[in-house]
Amino acid sequence: MADCTCTHCNLTFDESVMINEEHNGQTLHFCCRGCQGVYHLLEDEGLGTFYEKLGDTKLQPPSALEGDLEKFDLEGFEKRYVTVHDDGLHEINLIIEGIHCSACVWLNEKVLHKLEGVMEATINYTNNKAKVIWDPEEVKLSKIIETIRSIGYNAYPYDPKLQEERAVKTRKSYYMRILVAVFGSMNIMWLAVAHYAGYFGGIEQSFKDILNVAEFILATPVLFYSGWIFFRGAYYGYKNKTVNMDTLVASGALSAYIYSIYAMVTQRGEVYFDSVTMIITFVLVGKYLEVLSKKHAVDTLDHIIGSTPTEVTTIKEGVKSLVGVDNVIIGDIIELKPGEKVVIDGILTRGAASFDESSLTGENEPVYKEQGDEILSGSICLDSTIHYEAKKDASSSLLTSIVNLLEESITKKPRIEQLANTVSGYFSTVILIIALLTFAGWFYATGSFEQALIIGISVIVIACPCALGLATPMASLVGISMSAKRNILFKEATFLETMAKSRLLALDKTGTITEGKPSVQTERVLEAFDFSLLYSLVNTSSHPVSKGILAHLESKHEKLESYQLEDIKTIQAKGVEASYHGKKLTGGNAAFMQASGITVDEQSEYTLFYFAIDDRLVARYELSDTIREGAAEAVGMIREMGIRVVMLTGDNEQSAKRVAEAVGISEFYARLLPDEKAKKIDQFHEEGEIVVMAGDGINDTIALASSDIAIAMGNGADVAISVSDVVLLDESPMSIYESYRLSRRTFRAVKENLGFSLMYNVVAVPLAVAGFVNPLVAALSMSLSSLVVVGNSMRIKTLKFKKDK
Amino acid sequence: MSEGIVILMIGVSTLLGALGLIGLLWGIKTGQFDDHSKFIDSARFDGEDALRDAVMMEEKKKKRHEKKKKDEKAYGPPD
Repeated sequence: MADCTCTHCNLTFDESVMINEEHNGQTLHFCCRGCQGVYHLLEDEGLGTFYEKLGDTKLQPPSALEGDLEKFDLEGFEKRYVTVHDDGLHEINLIIEGIHCSACVWLNEKVLHKLEGVMEATINYTNNKAKVIWDPEEVKLSKIIETIRSIGYNAYPYDPKLQEERAVKTRKSYYMRILVAVFGSMNIMWLAVAHYAGYFGGIEQSFKDILNVAEFILATPVLFYSGWIFFRGAYYGYKNKTVNMDTLVASGALSAYIYSIYAMVTQRGEVYFDSVTMIITFVLVGKYLEVLSKKHAVDTLDHIIGSTPTEVTTIKEGVKSLVGVDNVIIGDIIELKPGEKVVIDGILTRGAASFDESSLTGENEPVYKEQGDEILSGSICLDSTIHYEAKKDASSSLLTSIVNLLEESITKKPRIEQLANTVSGYFSTVILIIALLTFAGWFYATGSFEQALIIGISVIVIACPCALGLATPMASLVGISMSAKRNILFKEATFLETMAKSRLLALDKTGTITEGKPSVQTERVLEAFDFSLLYSLVNTSSHPVSKGILAHLESKHEKLESYQLEDIKTIQAKGVEASYHGKKLTGGNAAFMQASGITVDEQSEYTLFYFAIDDRLVARYELSDTIREGAAEAVGMIREMGIRVVMLTGDNEQSAKRVAEAVGISEFYARLLPDEKAKKIDQFHEEGEIVVMAGDGINDTIALASSDIAIAMGNGADVAISVSDVVLLDESPMSIYESYRLSRRTFRAVKENLGFSLMYNVVAVPLAVAGFVNPLVAALSMSLSSLVVVGNSMRIKTLKFKKDK
Repeated sequence: MSEGIVILMIGVSTLLGALGLIGLLWGIKTGQFDDHSKFIDSARFDGEDALRDAVMMEEKKKKRHEKKKKDEKAYGPPD
């Protein structure tokens, strides 16, 4: 038996199970009909070069997607997603599923281009979003979707107007402003070198004028184009009657700029164009980092909304019809096919099936439901067609309320006031008042308007917010890069400060404290048997318990063979059954064994799996969800820091209690639905806590979104990662402890930096008020104060964790 | 060194830099850097094929434009 790869998708399978085919004198291997179909389609279309471009990249085998195509041509769908251009062309934004590499992008664009009536098709490789423009007279949208599906991909529509367009636009505008700012300040820097050299070594006024004018030309676009954001922020602040960082930056930069023009025109004193551009550039870069990280949150929310069906099949008097979800009324009978997502809550009336409720409870085990059981929207029907009666309409169903809650909590996310903002608010008010008083005082004392003005402005210039502006970004930058090295990704710099202030940590159980999948705890072999039999049997099922057994066997035994089993039957919620060379193999839970007349030992607090050959019990396994390595230690260390740790879980009280005791958490809440978790977080907020929440599943998403800091595990659901503020790539609970330590250390550095820059001002401002400031003092003290802030921030790098010792 | 030379040096170098900056800004504005991965990978897939593809799309647009014109004429008032 040799392994070989599928010609289309490059996945490796055993040769015996492949579909072999002679084609142009070559033997081709396919893992499934889908791959074979796509291969021939591409060959016929003359797109065979796709495989050269693909190289060794592995694809997902195409799955057969049929039906529901007609929904794309319905009017309601068109109204929601399609934009009509003035010249009659239609435009839609799609998320293409199944793109693995740039060859996939190439292929999709190519087939769309070939399609008659498609005017434009561009696909973004980074986020798999596509924009398609077509002529509705020549081709229908359903045909376009069908074409994408025919080559093994799938497409969902999404509404880009939601948030994405705006997010992309701000990102671009910031980027362009930064480029101008960097260009300006870098050029001014080398002009300033000549300036300073001239100050010490002597320079003719005519050369000084040339340098001044050149700096003026470079600084102007930086101040008014790049710095526009600060003027706008200052204006909004003025309207809301608050003085903020923007006010300080805007007033500082603008007054330095005006003073410099005055100095340039009158040929007296020194110009400060270099500090104008430096302030703008540094603070702008800090702001850009925030904007950059905000974009991601938007991408995957679109994905959930896009994958929600817009139509359901209802049955009225025996007639099936496709009805928009908004038109379903309570009492309608809805048909649900395997693989479909439930959008409307109801009660099962005919048939029985297993449901994947992982997006609601976080538990991976499918739930078996019979007549009379409640069906919750958001779950996915796994194995058979059922009928159920709608008990709620679409807008009040669980799934819709989750999506609504999510959108709400993302926009309403509590913002903890940043220390730097508070300080700079007072600081700028005080400085502005001092400057005004200085001007008034000098004017009164000397009677010279010009001299009073120069000294008044010099107060603002010397109090230049450079050090203050750099205090937070610099420390945060070092903190963020430190944490990134330890596989902790902080999405925004401000989260470090918020986390440092938090005194409460809420943890999800499954997937956060535990691994999230059952693994074998004890194995009891009652009679010797061929483990390959059990291996082959559990291999036929995708149930988490089977997977746990599979992983256990693979780690314990080296030589396992996969036998060709016959009569494989999966009995839902019970187990699997098959035969091999006349031997009857059964594996499953106690109820399944008892059904075949085997008495078993049911005493265990764990999930049990039995294996019997010809109705004789040969092995018994106890499985449970294992607790992640170092979880107890991490929880202990976090508690030592004075942080209250609570556990929130959708699981039952018993298993919640077991896990809580094992890791040393005394406060836990069990049986919580997604929105109840979020309510718990709100409750903590009311108690005045700043809440850090760690979770991984879709069921944690609302709670994550409403907490102050959300930590997601690296392999968690996309949505969970996108709403979270911190991502732990190595998924270790110890990283939560490390991020606490890092954020507290960074916050300390921020406080030190702010303290220093205030102290600097306490010394420098009185000198300026007294009129003692000359350019040498100004230049030296400005760069010195910035250097101290940078140097102090670098000290964060010396932070040691216990583990490193 | 006379003032003229200094002005020339600063002027020319700043102008050249500014041209580069304007080119970059134009590229960002027209969305040429929106997709980092595609931007890098497109070099691999560039060739006669891509060119033919682009021409085909252009022709498609032209054809539609002409058809539209013809339609408008047919419905429009006689000259």
